Amino acid sequence: MSRSLKKGPYVDEVLYKKVIAARDSGSHTPIRVWNRSCTIVPEFVGTTFEVHNGKAFLKVYITEEMVGHKLGEFSPTRQFRSHVGRNR
Amino acid sequence: MPRVAGVDIPAQKRTEIALRYIYGIGPTRAREICNKTAIDPGVRANKLTEEEISKLAAIIESDYVVEGQLRRQVQQNIARLREIRCYRGLRHIRGLPVRGQRTRTNARTRKGPRKTVAGKKGVKEMHRA
Repeated sequence: MSRSLKKGPYVDEVLYKKVIAARDSGSHTPIRVWNRSCTIVPEFVGTTFEVHNGKAFLKVYITEEMVGHKLGEFSPTRQFRSHVGRNR
Repeated sequence: MPRVAGVDIPAQKRTEIALRYIYGIGPTRAREICNKTAIDPGVRANKLTEEEISKLAAIIESDYVVEGQLRRQVQQNIARLREIRCYRGLRHIRGLPVRGQRTRTNARTRKGPRKTVAGKKGVKEMHRA
């Protein structure tokens, strides 16, 4: 959403076709993807993806607000660890 | 004292500087506004005529988002990131740096005062001293 806007968004073509096909056939099964760097375009809204985070596939349901972000942004690759027992 | 953009009462400084006391106006915009209104940026704010002040106010209101409205806009943008649970939103929720900075050391602005953890390397030496 910032630099290199002139280059246009990166959308994986194979994935794009898959999404369109799934949408037109009315299928709601999640699409498994590894393409974390693929930008979410308006056509993806309403689709469910399973985005790989290096270990597992996390379900991501695409809403209108997510357009312009990338798939990987919704599938954290690191586990947040904090210390137990401290009040917070 | 002149009043521009709601509550702001810039001091008896040069117009160019005084305008920066408004949230959302920095050096660039202050100069821009002076150019647009054809007001000498060097004139002290308290020496401005009524007419000039209303000109400034009009330009700021029509061309720029400042103060409360801007603050709200920023908050909304952050709230949106939190809501969609994207990476940046999660960093906001956790109170950690959002733009990829290191967190092993530093990042104190986001994380707040240090919370020392017993048994961690370096703590013993600190207590002995």
